[in-house]
Amino acid sequence: MRVQLPVADAPAVRRYARRLTRRHTGPLFRVVALHGLAALAGLVTPFLLGRLIGAIEHGTTVSAVDGIAVALVVFVLVQAVLTRFAAFSSANLGERVLAELREEFVDRVLAIPLSTVERAGTGDLVTRTSRDVAQLSHSVRRGVPESLIAAVTLILTAGALIWLSPLLALPCLVGAPIIIGGARWYLRRAPKAYLRENAASSEVIDGLTETFDGARTTEALRTGARRIARTDHDLHEQYLAERGTLGLRTVFWPVVEVGFVLPVVATLFLGGWFYIQGWAELAQVVTAVFYVQQLVEPIDRLLGWADELQVGATSLARLLGVAEVGDDRTPGDARPDSERLTASDVRYAYTQGRDVLHGVDLTIAPGERLAMVGPSGAGKSTLGRLLAGIDGPRTGTVAVGGAPLVELPLEELRGHVALVTQEHHVFLGTLRDNLALAKPSADDAEIRRALAAVDALDWVDDLPAGLATEVGSGKHEVSPAQAQQLALARLVLADPHTLVLDEATSLIDPRAARHLERSLAAVLDGRTVVAIAHRLFSAHDADRVAVVEDGRIIELGPHDDLVAADGSYAALWRSWQS
Amino acid sequence: MRSLPVADPGTPDTRSAARYLWWLASHQSRTIGFGMFFGITWMLTAALMPMVIGKAIDAGITTRDTTALAQWAGAFLLLGLVQAGSGIMRHRNAVFNWMSANFRTVQAVVRHANRLGATLPKRLATGEVVAIGAADTSHIGNALDISARGSAAVVSLITVTVILLTASVKLGLVVLLGVPVQMAVVSLLIKPLHRRQQAYRDQQGTLTGRAVDIVAGLRVLRGIGGEQVFADRYREQSQELRAAGIRAARIDSLLEAIQVLMPGLFLALVTWLGARLAVTGEIQPGELASFYGYAAFLIMPLRTLAELLEKLTRGHVSAGRVLQVLRLEPEITGPAAPRELPAHGVLADAKSGLTLRPGVLTVLAADRPEDAIEIADRLGRYAEGEVTLGGVPLAEATRDEVRARILVADNNARLFSGPLREELDPAGHGDEARLTAALHAASAEEIVDALPGGLDAFVAERGREFSGGQQQRLRLARALVADPPILILVEPTSAVDAHTEARIAGRLGEARQGRTTLVAATSPLLLDRADHVVYVEDGKVAAEGTHRELLAAEPGYRAVVTRSVE
Repeated sequence: MRVQLPVADAPAVRRYARRLTRRHTGPLFRVVALHGLAALAGLVTPFLLGRLIGAIEHGTTVSAVDGIAVALVVFVLVQAVLTRFAAFSSANLGERVLAELREEFVDRVLAIPLSTVERAGTGDLVTRTSRDVAQLSHSVRRGVPESLIAAVTLILTAGALIWLSPLLALPCLVGAPIIIGGARWYLRRAPKAYLRENAASSEVIDGLTETFDGARTTEALRTGARRIARTDHDLHEQYLAERGTLGLRTVFWPVVEVGFVLPVVATLFLGGWFYIQGWAELAQVVTAVFYVQQLVEPIDRLLGWADELQVGATSLARLLGVAEVGDDRTPGDARPDSERLTASDVRYAYTQGRDVLHGVDLTIAPGERLAMVGPSGAGKSTLGRLLAGIDGPRTGTVAVGGAPLVELPLEELRGHVALVTQEHHVFLGTLRDNLALAKPSADDAEIRRALAAVDALDWVDDLPAGLATEVGSGKHEVSPAQAQQLALARLVLADPHTLVLDEATSLIDPRAARHLERSLAAVLDGRTVVAIAHRLFSAHDADRVAVVEDGRIIELGPHDDLVAADGSYAALWRSWQS
Repeated sequence: MRSLPVADPGTPDTRSAARYLWWLASHQSRTIGFGMFFGITWMLTAALMPMVIGKAIDAGITTRDTTALAQWAGAFLLLGLVQAGSGIMRHRNAVFNWMSANFRTVQAVVRHANRLGATLPKRLATGEVVAIGAADTSHIGNALDISARGSAAVVSLITVTVILLTASVKLGLVVLLGVPVQMAVVSLLIKPLHRRQQAYRDQQGTLTGRAVDIVAGLRVLRGIGGEQVFADRYREQSQELRAAGIRAARIDSLLEAIQVLMPGLFLALVTWLGARLAVTGEIQPGELASFYGYAAFLIMPLRTLAELLEKLTRGHVSAGRVLQVLRLEPEITGPAAPRELPAHGVLADAKSGLTLRPGVLTVLAADRPEDAIEIADRLGRYAEGEVTLGGVPLAEATRDEVRARILVADNNARLFSGPLREELDPAGHGDEARLTAALHAASAEEIVDALPGGLDAFVAERGREFSGGQQQRLRLARALVADPPILILVEPTSAVDAHTEARIAGRLGEARQGRTTLVAATSPLLLDRADHVVYVEDGKVAAEGTHRELLAAEPGYRAVVTRSVE
């Protein structure tokens, strides 16, 4: 039943990259210009060396040599200063772009339609948020600027070589087909192999985390051998993945090295021969040999980053894809004229042709407390989600005051009905933050009242920092039961007219849960509550009980009536009460 | 290349971080040796290239000797080929060294985690553990990986210095002094840079945590609002991270400039001194080109040397962290001369006064849930206590034997990732019938039926794709498949609905027929189906009997049980 979130296609990624470039044209131009100038300054050194050797060959004075040496120092200084500003401005730009990317991503995540969130789960999104954002950070902070610098340096060095002597530039072309051929071969294979390597190493880390986390279980079940087998298996997979990329490099690296060394050899030999023929100056030959050697570094860098950038582009596609989830509600004009919740002839299917609800009819009066019971898999949670307006029924309607829930805008919907499930979450931040998100205007007194309504005020007051206590992963640990209390307190603050509680107290000790539900009921007096309950006392306390089995409501009525009717509910109740 | 990982990682030397690294190295001395050999060959060929260029100029070009030029160009090509070959061999051995050290560390840690068992989660936060897997094993690998290039850097530095010293004492001295000066200047900047980079990484981690937090709580945010607050807060932290990045870039860009400046000045100095020698005819023009080449080459070993120091330091720190785990000792250990536990007998806990009769399904209802957990921990010997089985104290048997006899299945137990069948029957001793029976008793068949692939479906980490109630039923099924002589279940149905709980209560007795079972629970559905009920008040047995007897005779019991009904 899990749905996959979309991934943006290649044209969409390219469009985005172009838009990004246009948005930052000025700074980008400055970065390229600064790096270009720094690279040019760097090209002066081999040129001056050539001049020195040429001068020495023709006979020169110590003072002339000293003059060239001074020029060398000056250009080194210029190059260093330019490098400083170039590096800083590209880092600056990188940080800016990166911040934009991640902030836009979070905005996109926060706009994902409710039904998609409920159905896709958060596993895939967590991966995108952590792994893909990290991958993209690496690409944007390091990969893109370094490739850019390398490209600029490469072009300028090649240009300098041609400017020096077009003839001397020719020999280095012998390396080109080797490097291009090798790179094409490698880049076609590398991204997949490196992704496999990353996946394999994550697998090892996950396995290790599991081993630590479940150490007690492993001891209890005496399954240590299984953990060892799992680890060794994961490690072997990582070994194979590493072997895979190593195999690629074992072919690629020597090929490229040969591609690097051949141009130097060719320039040295042919350049010397050109000199002997009188076609070139010695100074030119020496400079050309060192220029060709200087070509190696930028090419090496470009090749080194190429596969990384491909992986970065994949990550970007996954981040952009989040925006492609279509909106799930098309707001209509109908507005509720009351708080009466009605479901008529509701059917619903997760997969086509397999309805899990078969024509459910239900009317819930404002202020009524309805408990839904039934075996797991009967369709209670599905019905609950339809009643909360998260999904629309396949056929039939679910409406509040005559207005279909799925046609209400999200803001409006929240004012009418809210759902709390047993899946709870405590956000990073203070307890106050965790509660106030439901009602940003709430003051401490109001928050405390909400906490009191869910029996949570005592333990919150016992905390050293009270409402200001930092909670969430890595901070003060809140038990699952306390987290459920917080979720309910949020709901009290949000104060919708109708609440759907899907096993919202299941993690709380049964004895405490009873008390909680009663104090909650007092606060929610006058609100409509639909409670999917797995404990029978919740049903006992409700105005009416709906017994759901196989996608149908088979019994509906007050507790006492159902017990008297002696049906399935009555049987269960008796065994419970004994 | 030998296949990894090795079957038996051996016993690590935990006396110190350095000894630990040495222990790792001693297991891979061959590849370390090869890595060094090829590394040195590889870097020396690069060091010798300037010399060949100089010779080509002096012996071939300026003397217009095409044959000599061709010979020296050929020599350069040969150096290039040797460099390519030794480079990749160096890399292959280095990668093997990295994997070997990394994997051996992971293996040693996992094996030790098994020895520690229940002690581990008590002593170590999950975060520290994740750090070991995500970073420390890799840093340890790096420390061994760098041996190949590090040794090469040292050897080539010495070689180039000697070459220059023989050519000119002055030039040689420039290198001898220039190298440490460059190292010193770079290391001056490296520290603050690392500090800022670390600050950046920490902040980046926090920001990722914030984003993951938003995603994990997306249901809540989309359900009842608060998106704007969270988006704003994220943006704020994102901008702080950006500022930290820029702070790091200030130093980083300075360092980059210095890394242009220092070798550049060094190069200029060497070239200038060389040129003066050339003017006076003490050296040939080609030799000047060689000197220039040496000075340019030295950047590589210098950087490698800096890397060597950094990786060794990091590896040492990481080894220290790994040792923190490897040095932990289990809280519960077996006696020196273990006794064998009797095959049958009463399991008795002196502190609470609880005695479990063999072959009986007992349900324990405690007025405080914590007491039930403490008793279960003592009975399973997760905590020290005076517990005897058939008169023999558990403390006198080996831990493994206790685990074989008594299984405590509580709600903190984990589901591991893997095929469901293996998860339910990790020991692999059960047949299909046993699995089916256990799934039936735990009322978990429909969970399996709904999975694509059924029992062969893959369970995600911690079984997170299952709801709380489903996980609980699967864990119960796993405990039933294990079929231990004594099974202790703590609140096994706390997260399932009443219908399902009623089904489980009805089937549990049959599934444990003839075996000893203790269930800690207060649900009347379970209590009513028990052979025997024990009521515990203030951690001590207060009354025993059947559910109905206790309901009638024991007001405290009635209060505990019916608190949830009336």
